[in-house]
Amino acid sequence: MTLDEPFAPAERLAARLAIWRQRLRATPLVDLLALLLDVSEPLGPLGAQVLWVAQPALGLMVSREAVADLAQVLERPGGVAWDVPDDFEEHARYVLDRVRTAIDDIDGIMTENEVFLARCRGLSPVTPEQAINWGFSGPMLRATGVKHDLRRAEPYSIYDRFDFEIPVGTQGDVYDRYLVRLEEMRQSIRIVDQALRQMPKNGPIMASGLKRTIRVPPGEVYARTESPRGEYGVYIVSKGGDKPWRHKVRAASFCNLSALRNMVVGNYVADAIIILGSIDIVLCEVDR
Amino acid sequence: MLGILRALGTVVSAALRKPATVQYPTEKKQLPHRARGFPTLLWDFERDEPFCTGCQVCARYCPTDCMTVTMRDNPKYAEGKSPRRKIVDKFFIDYARCMRCDICVEVCNFDAIVMDNTWRSVELSRYDRQELVMDLDALLKPSRTGQLKDPFRDAMGVAHHGWAPRKAEEEKEKVAAAEE
Amino acid sequence: MIGNNPWLDGILRLLVVAVAVPLSVIVLNYLERKVIGRVQNRLGPMRVGPYGTLQSVADTIKLLTKEDVRPSTADQWSFELAPYVVVVPTIVALVTVPIMPDLFIRNLGLGLFFIVAVSTVPIVGFVMAGWGSDNRYALLGAMRSAAQLISYEVPLILAVVAVAMVAHTADGGRGTLNLTEIVDGQDKVPYIFWQSLAFFIFTVAGLAELYRHPFDIPVAESEVVGGPFVEYSGMRWAMFQLGEYVSLVLISLLGALVFLGGWNWPLVNELAERNAVAGTALQAVLMLGKTSFFILFFFLMRAAMPRLRVDQLMAFSWQVLLPLSFYQIIVNGLVVVYGWPDVVLGVLSGLGLLAGSALTYRAVRKPTMVRRPRPVAARQGSEVKV
Repeated sequence: MTLDEPFAPAERLAARLAIWRQRLRATPLVDLLALLLDVSEPLGPLGAQVLWVAQPALGLMVSREAVADLAQVLERPGGVAWDVPDDFEEHARYVLDRVRTAIDDIDGIMTENEVFLARCRGLSPVTPEQAINWGFSGPMLRATGVKHDLRRAEPYSIYDRFDFEIPVGTQGDVYDRYLVRLEEMRQSIRIVDQALRQMPKNGPIMASGLKRTIRVPPGEVYARTESPRGEYGVYIVSKGGDKPWRHKVRAASFCNLSALRNMVVGNYVADAIIILGSIDIVLCEVDR
Repeated sequence: MLGILRALGTVVSAALRKPATVQYPTEKKQLPHRARGFPTLLWDFERDEPFCTGCQVCARYCPTDCMTVTMRDNPKYAEGKSPRRKIVDKFFIDYARCMRCDICVEVCNFDAIVMDNTWRSVELSRYDRQELVMDLDALLKPSRTGQLKDPFRDAMGVAHHGWAPRKAEEEKEKVAAAEE
Repeated sequence: MIGNNPWLDGILRLLVVAVAVPLSVIVLNYLERKVIGRVQNRLGPMRVGPYGTLQSVADTIKLLTKEDVRPSTADQWSFELAPYVVVVPTIVALVTVPIMPDLFIRNLGLGLFFIVAVSTVPIVGFVMAGWGSDNRYALLGAMRSAAQLISYEVPLILAVVAVAMVAHTADGGRGTLNLTEIVDGQDKVPYIFWQSLAFFIFTVAGLAELYRHPFDIPVAESEVVGGPFVEYSGMRWAMFQLGEYVSLVLISLLGALVFLGGWNWPLVNELAERNAVAGTALQAVLMLGKTSFFILFFFLMRAAMPRLRVDQLMAFSWQVLLPLSFYQIIVNGLVVVYGWPDVVLGVLSGLGLLAGSALTYRAVRKPTMVRRPRPVAARQGSEVKV
C-alpha cells in the first residue's frame, strides 16, 4: 500500500525499516538500489509549487516522466525483486541530465524573476520556533533555518556513505521554500551520481533468511524516513504473528497542512493559494 | 528587470530545444523491456501447445480473482509428443479487474504466463466491458503470432524461500559455482 | 487614390482590411499555440491539417456551431452589444495605421490621437459584459478589467504622445501626430534609441492593455473564472478573442511604426534609390519583421511570467509607470523648447529607464508593500527538542 506514487520508494522503505529493524540486516546492494529509486524526490513538490504560477512547470513533467521510466525494479521487504537492467547506469545518467536541464530551466525562469519575487517574497514568514511548534518537517522546516534532515540526523539505509549538503533558508517564507526545494533537487542529483559510481557490479539483491510470511516478535517500532515533503513515519505495533496490530502512518503533508490557518490569516485570498501550493500537500497522504 | 530578461532568455533557449513529444499514434515511444502490461500466455513452439497446464496456481493467488482456469488431459502426452500430462482447457482473464500486480507471473510453476510488454496490452479501449474478458485464444495470440518478441522473464528474486521457481534455483547455483 | 474615386478607394481598402484582419487573427492564434508549445518542450497543434495549421479554423467552426447560451436574467442590450463594443473600435483604429507607405485606409493628420481615442472605447464594452451577465463574479472581473485598462491607458498614451512631441516632421520641425510622418522621421535612427524609456513604458502598458501575462488577472481562468466573459459562449466568446488578437496586432504595429522605425530603417532609402522593387520588398520585410518581434515578445512573456496580483498591478502602474512617463514628457518638452539635439534626449531617457529598473528591483527585493500580518499566537504546545 503506497500513498503517493512515484514517491512510494521512500514510504515503502519506511515500512520495511519498521518491519525488520531489529532482526535483519539488509545487504548493501539492496539499500543502494532502494536509494536509486528516490531520484524523483523533490521534483514533484517543486512542480506543485510552481504549477500555479507559470507554464514552465509543464516542462518539468517531462523530466518527471523520465524519472518514472527509471523505476524498473520492484521493491520487496528485504531487497528487490530483480537486479537492475544492463543499461541502467546509462539510462540513469541520461535521466539525470534531463532533470538537471529542467532544474536549470526553472532556476532561470523563476528565481530572479521580479514578478515571482513580488508575489512570493515575504509571504507568510515562519520563525524556527513556530515551525517546530507547528510540527513542520522537511523543506518547510529547513526553509525557516532549522538544519534538520533525517538523512543526517538519523542516517538510515546507506545515506551515511554520501556527501551532500542540506540547504537551509533564512526567513521561512514561500520564496525560501522554493529555493530550498530547488537546491535539494540539485543535492539529490549529486547523491544519485555518487550512488551510481558506488554501485557494485553484482551482488546479492535480497536479504537471506526471509520467509514468505514475515513474522515479527511482539513489540512496537517507529521508523521514519525523509520523504520529499518531510518526515514520513510508520508506527507498527505487533502482537506476534504475521499481521500488524496497529499500523499508523505519520504523513508529513498532514502535519504541515495543519498549520495552514496560522500561515494564511492576515494575507490576501490570492496569496492563500500560493501558500497552500508552497506547503506542497499530497492529498492522499492528508486524507489517508 | 534583469530577472525578467534572464527569464526570457531561458524561455527562448527552452523553445529552441527539440521537443519531447512522441506523436502517438503515428509514432510510439519504445516501451522498456520490463514494461508491465497485462498478463498473456506463452506458446511453446517446439511442441506446438501452450506452456500453461491449467494448474490454477495463478488463479488462486490472484488478489482480484480475475482468472478462471480449467484443465484437461493432454492428448499429446498420450501420443508421446509432449511431457505435459495436463494442458489448459479454458483460460479467462478479465482485464477489467486485473491490476497487473505480477503475482501470477511470480507464482507460475511453468513460466507460462508473462506480462505483455508491447503496446497491444496498453491499447485496450473497448466499447463494451465484456470485450475485456480475454479467452484462451486472445491470450495466446501475442505469443503465437510473434508480436511478443521479447518478454521479460527474469526470475523474481528469491523472495519466498521454500518454493522459489526451479529456474531461479538453478541460476543461483550456476552463479555460485561460477564465483568459486 | 484607386480609380480617382474616393468611394471606390475607401471601400476597396476597407475590404482589404476586413479580409486581412480575421486572417491574421487565425494565423496568430495558431502561432501562439505553437510558440508556447515549443517553450514548454512540446509541439503544439499537429493533427488538424498539415502541422496543425487548420487548428484555428477548426476552433472557429466549433465556436460558430455552439449553442447560444444566455442567462435569462441578463440585461439584453448590455449583454448582447458588449462583444461588438469591444471588437469594433479596435478594428476601426486600424483605419489609420499605415502598414506600408501606401497601404492604409486613410492617413489622418491626427492619426495617433484617433487611435488612442478609439482604443479606449472597449473599456466600456468590458463593463457592459460584466454588468449584463448578471453574475457577481463577472461584475467583479469587469470592474477589475476596467480598473486595469484605465490605469494602464494613461502611461500608454503619455508614452506615445511623448514620442509624438519630438518626432521629426517633414518640414524639419518637431511634433506630429501623423503616423506616416513619424515613420518618415526615423530614416536615420529609430526612436527606440532616443526614447528608450518611452519604449519600455509602451511595451509594459501594452502588455497590460492586451491582458497578457503578467497582467492577465481579469481573464485568468484559475483566479476569476474568466472574469467578465464567464457567461459568454460560442460566437460571442469568439468575438472577444478576435478583439484581443486584433488589439495585439494594433499594438504591435504601433510599436513597430513609432519606435522601431517601421518601414524606413535601416537602409531603405538607399536601396529604394537604386531599385524601387527591391526597396518595396525590403520595406515589407522590415515591417513584417518588426511587428513579429513585438508579437513574439508578447507570446514569450506569456510563457515566462507568473501573474501579478491585482493590487501589485495597480501599484505598478500608478507608482512607477506614471511618474516615469511624466518624467519623459518633461524631458521631451525641455528638448523641444530649448532645441537640444536628439542625443540629449537619448541620454536622459536612458537614465530614466535605469532609474525605473532600479526602483522596481528595490521594490521586489525588499517588500515594502504593506501586508497586514496579524500575529497569530502560536498554540502553546510542548517544546519539541529536535
